[in-house]
Amino acid sequence: MSASAVTSMVHVVFWLVPGLERRHQMVSVKRQMVVNDTAFDVDVGLDDTLLRVIREKIGLTGTKEACGRGECGACTVLVDGVARLSCMTLCALVTGKVTTIEGVARERPDICAAFADHGGFQCGFCTSGQIVSVAALLQESLPGDPAAAEHVVRDRLSGNICRCTGYGGIVASVLALAGGDR
Amino acid sequence: MTGTLGRHVRPIDWQQRTSGAARYTADLFIAESLTVRVVRSPHAYAAVRSIDTAKAATMPGVHAIITIADFPPGARYIHEGARDRPPLAEGMVRYVGQEIAAVAAETAEQAAAAADAVVVSYDRKRGPLTIAAAQGAWSAALHKRTNGKNISKSLHRSWGEPLQGSSDGVSVDGRFVFSRQTHASMEPNSIIAQWDAEQGCLHLWVSTQAPIFVRDEVAQILGLAKEQVVCHEVFVGGGFGSKSRISEHEVIAAALALKVKRPVRLVLDRNEEFETTKSRHAFHMELALHADASGHMRAITGRFQVDNGAYDHSGMSVTSAGMKGLGLIYRPRSIRLDAQLIDTATLPGGQFRGYGTTQVTFALESLMDELAGRLERDPIDLRLQNANRDGEETLIGARPRTVRLADCLIAARDAIGWDKLRNTRPAGHGVGIASGVHLSGSYAERDDANRSDAAIDMLTNGKVRLRFGGADTGTGQRTMLAQIVAGELGLALDDVDVMTMDTALTPFDLGAWSSRGTHYSGHAARLVAKTATKKLESLAQGRVLPIGDLVALSNEAVDGMLTVEASFVETAVQRPDPKTGLGNVSASYNFAAHAAHVKVDTRTGKVELIDYVAVHDVGTPLNPAAVHGQIVGGAAMGIGAALGEDLVFEQGKLVTTGYTYYALPRAADIPSIRSFIVNCADPLGPYGAKGVGELGINPPPPAIANAVADAIGVRIRELPITPDKIVTALARKEGRNRHFNIWRRPDRWWIAFVRWAYPLGLFRLLHAWRTHQPSRSVPPEIEELAAPASLDEALSSLDRGAVPMGGGTDLLLRRSQMLSTATRLVSLAGIADLSQIAIAEDGAVTIGSAVSLSRLCAPSATHPAVAAAAQSIASHQIRNMATIAGNLLQANRCWFYRNGFECYQRVGAKAPCYAILGDHRFYHAAIDGHRCQAVTPSDMATALTALDATIHIRGRHGTRTLPIRALYTGPGQTVLQDGEVIAAITLPAAARTRVGAFRKLNLWHGDFAIGSVAITCRIDEAGCWHDPRIVCGALAPVPWRAVETEKALAGRKVTAALLRAALDEELNAKAHPLARNAWKLDALAGLCEQAVEEINEKVGR
Repeated sequence: MSASAVTSMVHVVFWLVPGLERRHQMVSVKRQMVVNDTAFDVDVGLDDTLLRVIREKIGLTGTKEACGRGECGACTVLVDGVARLSCMTLCALVTGKVTTIEGVARERPDICAAFADHGGFQCGFCTSGQIVSVAALLQESLPGDPAAAEHVVRDRLSGNICRCTGYGGIVASVLALAGGDR
Repeated sequence: MTGTLGRHVRPIDWQQRTSGAARYTADLFIAESLTVRVVRSPHAYAAVRSIDTAKAATMPGVHAIITIADFPPGARYIHEGARDRPPLAEGMVRYVGQEIAAVAAETAEQAAAAADAVVVSYDRKRGPLTIAAAQGAWSAALHKRTNGKNISKSLHRSWGEPLQGSSDGVSVDGRFVFSRQTHASMEPNSIIAQWDAEQGCLHLWVSTQAPIFVRDEVAQILGLAKEQVVCHEVFVGGGFGSKSRISEHEVIAAALALKVKRPVRLVLDRNEEFETTKSRHAFHMELALHADASGHMRAITGRFQVDNGAYDHSGMSVTSAGMKGLGLIYRPRSIRLDAQLIDTATLPGGQFRGYGTTQVTFALESLMDELAGRLERDPIDLRLQNANRDGEETLIGARPRTVRLADCLIAARDAIGWDKLRNTRPAGHGVGIASGVHLSGSYAERDDANRSDAAIDMLTNGKVRLRFGGADTGTGQRTMLAQIVAGELGLALDDVDVMTMDTALTPFDLGAWSSRGTHYSGHAARLVAKTATKKLESLAQGRVLPIGDLVALSNEAVDGMLTVEASFVETAVQRPDPKTGLGNVSASYNFAAHAAHVKVDTRTGKVELIDYVAVHDVGTPLNPAAVHGQIVGGAAMGIGAALGEDLVFEQGKLVTTGYTYYALPRAADIPSIRSFIVNCADPLGPYGAKGVGELGINPPPPAIANAVADAIGVRIRELPITPDKIVTALARKEGRNRHFNIWRRPDRWWIAFVRWAYPLGLFRLLHAWRTHQPSRSVPPEIEELAAPASLDEALSSLDRGAVPMGGGTDLLLRRSQMLSTATRLVSLAGIADLSQIAIAEDGAVTIGSAVSLSRLCAPSATHPAVAAAAQSIASHQIRNMATIAGNLLQANRCWFYRNGFECYQRVGAKAPCYAILGDHRFYHAAIDGHRCQAVTPSDMATALTALDATIHIRGRHGTRTLPIRALYTGPGQTVLQDGEVIAAITLPAAARTRVGAFRKLNLWHGDFAIGSVAITCRIDEAGCWHDPRIVCGALAPVPWRAVETEKALAGRKVTAALLRAALDEELNAKAHPLARNAWKLDALAGLCEQAVEEINEKVGR
């Protein structure tokens, strides 16, 4: 199925109309979601966040819920390549292609390896979100000057809280990936 | 060392932890699972008269509700032996958030709805909420105690020579406060429990550092044999001490699993995680150092008051550990300490990385600098003179074999560039040093604390598996153990697997706490690997064969697996004498020196960390990358405690219940911490290694406090060192005062009267008789969600109570905070017409209301001041989602209003404003505060007001255009009517000719403003300012323009000093600050000065 066909199928306007299925007293609609280049048919409740659908209905548990309200970045995913917080995104409104950590790890194993080489993770619970954010960041070019590059990296990753590493290893991973010489 | 030991290797689980494949507890979805929701006390101190579960029990999806009646009579946690805490409230509740009942239902929503429907009847009492209140003559006694009212325990320690009066010495003393810090582990406490009736076995998957403690507590409370409770291996997402004992939720999940005979899952939400995770104990410390004239330390004396919270957990051992820490860094001849553990009706304290030594190190190391000052000595020289040394028995009975503190101090001095910085530092810069000590696993007051076992299974395929009973919460312990086994057996690291946590399948270990992992599990792994080697050698009989072949030869192998076990017992340690505390409680002790270079913005009070060096004596590092990770991670956490982290309570209820309000460091808040390891090999450590997990957190608070004192000449003795403390201290030092002359301002008399009456009883009256919000922990379901393609379509659907939504980052949050009950949402984010930025021929810029903040971050997109404001907001992800109109229209961010306080703004007139007497230092108004003290939080509003933006509003009945200053009517409140939306924002053509600057002060990178400033003007060729706009955000209920100052500056060449003089006059004439936020006026004036300088720099003047 082509991407445009998928987009047109999922680009719909939802109304409360008779005939919509009420399940567990929740209004839900049948949707097709494209996650990591795979199409999934899912029942999406209007209350369902993208995070909940990814984890509980599609079964990809790499995306984590740490705060559930947009504070920490652990649930970061890409929608059409743009980093978003899946815990604050109503799934029914998502029309783009979703990429989760599972997809990023497949496409950019070098980011995962860099995290392993540079102490970019410890407990790993924030790591999915960190790596997804890094994947988005690396689509852009960083300044050549290492100090300026570090400044940009730290600013861009400030939406991803890490309580273990003190960020040094994460920043080092990104600078190494970007070719920065530290 | 053998194999990969001492070398950096990738963590053995790196692929799982970086690809999303690692399964943490909440990632396990067991079929037929029910979800648990806990009913918690909203009161700090109350008698529970009755609990009525009848209605809740009949609600859809509900399978069971438990209360204390479901537990055996007298069920209590063991913890430190006090046995004062029941698994669910029994008779009394003693803190907000205490567990009263728990519901298991089919879905999370059903469980929450049923939990809301449990009716608990309370007899509210006034509980002691602070240390001071607990000691008041009229305060209630929280528990029956034998040491005195609200004194859980007292501890007196006296080590060394008796104190001698001497006149030739020098003494320094001070009163220090280490506030409450919380772990904020990224993974919330999570439990899955399943009862296997056939086997009579309770299976638990728990996010824990110490499965054995979980097993023991669950078994004893539920009356099961220990063997009937089995913890299974899961990935664990951080602990930092919080998970080294039971979290008090495992028992609840287990009891429900037993009752419903189905698997249950209990995953705390972030509110609960903050509200119920036992925090670091707050220490109030009076400490004194006594030295002779040559700088030799004679004595340390002190008195500590420790906030125990509502129940005894580890308060006494934390206090005791802290006291011992004072006897390890230096060589005093005498130590005399007294401590009281004080009961308060607040969240109990618990285990936290550093365990008491963090708190006392702050006081000790701050005083060391004061002592150096009094003696006119270099702080590092004084420390070197007194530093503990190898081979000496300390006053507390510790016998460290290796002490490399002096090496650490010297290395830190060199790395930070101490001498140069001390001699030639620019204004506002400062450098500070601090030492620290920790141990490698304390011989805690329990049996077998000096023992760790391990087992190795060798398979015919040549692979081996180490089994060990602790838990790796992210420290890299599994990798280190695999390195040891691989090294000893001559295997590749890939051939070694490590199984942890499973209490049925792994041998005895007490878990990951007290920095014991390296020493105890390292020795156990070494021992069992050597046992395996011997076994293999006996099988080989001189032949050289692969391990798999040797296993095949063994007649002891079972199903192709040969197993050996070993038990390591550390004989070099002693249990401390209960009377004196004396004893060598650890096999080795690790030392550190940290140096901090800070820059203090004396105008705003913001402390910027320029450079940070951490030098540690950890013995021989077995996996250097992991060791550096522990050091840097610990230091970052210590920096958080130094500069921002603080649990704030009001009426016993936690105010800072989330990452937004808890200022822990984000990536941009700290520099790259430079970590170094000094040469050392401890004879008692495994391969020379010592523990490392905790120490990194201890030196940062005093190192930074010392650097700040060095920079500004004022010492801050109460953590965290937030901008308010610095600005206030500097104003006091410089003798600056503001006078507001409210008596000459009749328009403020009523407010002044109400504020005066609040502490005299008005607050208590309103608090007691306030309107209550219906109990509700999940918002009503969304019934309708429209994503129209045009604005007209959107407007037609905005009827019958439907609300417009931009990026949803505030509306969805407000729904979860029970501040919005909207069930019909109309998303405007997908409307193409609203997502344009259009530039008219005359230069006017029209920004569609659905333009994301990200697009506004480019300075060329609209105006540099708008870009600067956009860049300062929240995070990259939020900026991608949030729209400009959503930012303008967000509700106020008062931390009382947002976090569940039934305040005036939330429930109406018959309720108090909690900010008036509560903590209002940062996010509340200092000008024009009325019934509600909140401010409009939008930074966009600040910037756009300074550019004379106009707002285009569309409704079903027409269109109107307003200047932005007419948009706001109160804190986060606007003139928008139901059914109206902002369609666009226009920057007039004249805005393009304005030079502008935006400045913001906040607690962490991306936080809401404590204060923000936007200044714009036109500057003529002579350098004179025309038509200036000076707008302050977060200072008043609405964006506040300094109109008098604008008038005073018009037509003049403006300097920072000129602006400051005019602005101070206007602020003094108009401000009406609360008791503790007048400092914001100084900080805002400082931001204005900086903005003027930025503008002048831009135009080259």
